[in-house]
Amino acid sequence: MQKKRNNKKKSQSNFAKLSIFQPNKYKFKKKCRLSIKGAPVVDYKNIKLLKRYVSENGKILPSRITNVSQKKQRELSLSIKRARNLGLI
Amino acid sequence: MNLLEHTIVARQDTSLSQLKQITDRYSSIVTKNKGEVIQTQNWGLLNLAFLIKKNKKGNYIHFKIKGPSSLILDLEKSERMDKNLLRYMTVKVKKFDLEANYFSGKDKEETDTSKVTKKNSN
Repeated sequence: MQKKRNNKKKSQSNFAKLSIFQPNKYKFKKKCRLSIKGAPVVDYKNIKLLKRYVSENGKILPSRITNVSQKKQRELSLSIKRARNLGLI
Repeated sequence: MNLLEHTIVARQDTSLSQLKQITDRYSSIVTKNKGEVIQTQNWGLLNLAFLIKKNKKGNYIHFKIKGPSSLILDLEKSERMDKNLLRYMTVKVKKFDLEANYFSGKDKEETDTSKVTKKNSN
């Protein structure tokens, strides 16, 4: 019986580590890759770049997954739709 | 005066001479309407992502045009009638980048521009 109790206590202590109030070390946010200096131009002809931001079924990926800034996401969605119209994607 | 990018997708079974005819025809329409073709790019046969009128592949031709926007009306009017074409699209641009060519592997005309793109990729 005593052993079981010990196990329970251990598991609780592990949960305490995963609390919401984590130190800032564990929280990290990636920066937008497209708004750095020297980033590639978002264009409907640049299919290699556009394919990174499209799912396997050809859907546009949301910016919360790809970490793209709001402005660049708008450009991306426009250029992806243009490329679709031409049958490139 | 506007800067326009115009792309045409032709059928997969059009011959080279037919493609030349198409490019000449539409560039002549542009010049008739007080426009100017600054660059033409031939992207060659590319795989389509989906079937368009039972075609798996398409011949892509890309124009960079400088001219009045009323020119588009005439261009697209004749393109709608053309049975050799699958799709067409015009985009108004603020600036041309004449150096970048994303389909340079299949390009014949420009040798100078392909070098520039290689430098950029490095």
